[in-house]
Amino acid sequence: MDRRTFVKATCVGSASLFLKDFDLLAQAEVTLPQPPPIEVHGLPQAKPSPLGMPGLFPGRVVEISDPGSIVRNRVSQPVVCRMLEDGMKDLTGESSVRAAWAKFIDPADTVGIKINPSGAPACCSSPEIVREIISGVQSVGVPARNIVIYDRYSYEIDIGSYQALLTPGVRVVGIQDGFVDTSGYDPNVYCDANFFGEWETRSYMASIVAHGVTKIINVPTMKDHSASGVTGCLKNLGYGTFNNVARSHRAPYSFTNPLIGVMCSVEPLRSKAVLHIMDGMRQVWHGGPLTQVQDFIYQAGLLLVGTDPVAMDTIELQLIEKKRREQGAPSVWEHDPKSITPDGHEFYHDATKNLFFRQPGHIAAAGKLGLGIADLKQIDHRQIHAA
Amino acid sequence: MTEPAKPTIPESDWSSLLHDNSRTGGQGVRAAHAPDRARWQIRVGSSIRSAPILRNGMLYVTSLAGISQAIDVANARTKWKFQAADQVHSTPSLCGNRVLFGCDDGKVYAVDGDSGTKVWEASSAAEVWTSPVVRNGVVFFGSADAHMYAVEAKTGRARWTQELGGRIYSTAFAAEKQLYVGCGDGKVYSLDISSGKILWSTPTGNGIDSSPAVVANILLIGSEDFFVYAMDVNSGVVRWKYETGLGIASSPAASGDLAFIGSKDGYLYALEIQTGRLRWKAQAGDVVTAPPVIGDGVVCIQAGGTFAFDIATGNVVWKAGLAGAVQSVPVLTGDVIYLASNDGEVYALE
Repeated sequence: MDRRTFVKATCVGSASLFLKDFDLLAQAEVTLPQPPPIEVHGLPQAKPSPLGMPGLFPGRVVEISDPGSIVRNRVSQPVVCRMLEDGMKDLTGESSVRAAWAKFIDPADTVGIKINPSGAPACCSSPEIVREIISGVQSVGVPARNIVIYDRYSYEIDIGSYQALLTPGVRVVGIQDGFVDTSGYDPNVYCDANFFGEWETRSYMASIVAHGVTKIINVPTMKDHSASGVTGCLKNLGYGTFNNVARSHRAPYSFTNPLIGVMCSVEPLRSKAVLHIMDGMRQVWHGGPLTQVQDFIYQAGLLLVGTDPVAMDTIELQLIEKKRREQGAPSVWEHDPKSITPDGHEFYHDATKNLFFRQPGHIAAAGKLGLGIADLKQIDHRQIHAA
Repeated sequence: MTEPAKPTIPESDWSSLLHDNSRTGGQGVRAAHAPDRARWQIRVGSSIRSAPILRNGMLYVTSLAGISQAIDVANARTKWKFQAADQVHSTPSLCGNRVLFGCDDGKVYAVDGDSGTKVWEASSAAEVWTSPVVRNGVVFFGSADAHMYAVEAKTGRARWTQELGGRIYSTAFAAEKQLYVGCGDGKVYSLDISSGKILWSTPTGNGIDSSPAVVANILLIGSEDFFVYAMDVNSGVVRWKYETGLGIASSPAASGDLAFIGSKDGYLYALEIQTGRLRWKAQAGDVVTAPPVIGDGVVCIQAGGTFAFDIATGNVVWKAGLAGAVQSVPVLTGDVIYLASNDGEVYALE
């Protein structure tokens, strides 16, 4: 069995496996279509790394909170600096911040910092946190020119003004300028699946991930997502690395489960993503990922730090669900046809409505692919609160 | 002496970002009627993040494909194209018969306006998204390498270089003796125009990519800290600041006693220049990052579409919904509005 056949078989297997384990159809009040098989072509010469997901600390999630980290919607640089230092030391057990960063980064690395600018300016990876990550990487000895802040869409990066706000010397790269621009992708590394009869069935890996960087630090935001339930580490990494991903959800159906996890498992993405720092300064509990409606954005003042994206997203899902309960919004697991609307305006202004039958099961499915731990009982959830 | 340069160009021309070096945003242009139809529409082949400029019936456009091109507005035909080595985000400006623009390869190019032939290039160490500004035979530009540069307009030869504290994405304002610019380190700087020496700097609460305007000895600029600032041009002392709902990447344009500026909170604000008092605010879209321009009784801004607001009341006079997100700056003439869009379209609306 070659790698291609193996992955295809694995994915089909995982689809039936999680249907059994998580009993999604039993929760649904509608019959959801089955996901098609997904064929994967990884980079042939890629070598799996022990730092790759789930990384050095499977199941460990460090949550750092400080109400002073975001005040009147402004993120405090000194407060997030201290939060990140505390989180890195707790995650690694190191007594010095530099030693903590050195667990993941070598001076010879070219480090990609995968931000999430979609949803800018209301909720996107905070430049203040990205600056602290840049400082941490530089503390190990990586020169600024070998640090690349990147995402898929350059116009979203522009709206976030990252170019102006970040440290001089680092590169800020948008992989593509328009929706049909494929020049920044490797045609030999892809996931192939036909979800809805689309003419282009492949999603290609960004060349900067396949060839340009040696390590990736993932900086997702904390949001609900109309198709995948939540968007956190896994979705920011998978759908921010491969192109042509919007085809996986066509209202009201979504195949983000299992595509998100499958994409994250493709080498060399899996091995290069060594650290995840989730920006929970702002928490979108409805209307994600693009909403600009402040009523649904809670200034939570949180950071999650870990190497296991599945465990981190599991905690994120818990937090989003808690907030939705507090606000009287239905669970992201709900599959009531009455909650579905084709009207975008209604969706953006009514937390009981959604565009898709959400698929938060993509997190557990990624766990089944070996990317991390989804069982809350096995997750080492550490919490550091400001004094 | 800190008064802005008076526009000396013909009314129909639009020679730099926000019309002219005084950054009036088109003030004095005769009219901007609601467009009824497109006179022409062309596709340049890649995304456009800059604003077009206009002179003698020739529209100059730069795009992310690294192409600068001259379009004859009478027939929408391209007269020439110049291919730079990297993407171009910089709005071009005119100096004599030369078209100047920055490039992501770190250079500023001067191209002959008739032929598109390169005349000179000046180098920096990182991308140049700002628009070159010309004053008394000297070209000034900021770079992401955290330096301001002054080069001779004729040759591109360096006059001076000054390091600032962060990346520069703010287009400088050149007065007679001082240069004003915002910086990614959150400060507004005033430099001596002949030496580049820092005369004063005033901090704001976050980085700046807004470009300053100067009116009656008051410098106006937005910051990513959500505030619009008014500073004394001679000392940098903050006269007033006004809080919007989110960060500001838009740049101010002034007309009479009012300054207009957009915010990422989606609103366009009309503020009294002397006091900072809000005259009106109006929603232009979900997000506004482009600067406004001023027409005949209206202030126009691109934010997903193009909107014209009554300058006195803020009521919508007209809006034009165009395909593709638009974050550029329109060029207003007596009977035609020229627009460029993120999806690579250039429109002549009449």
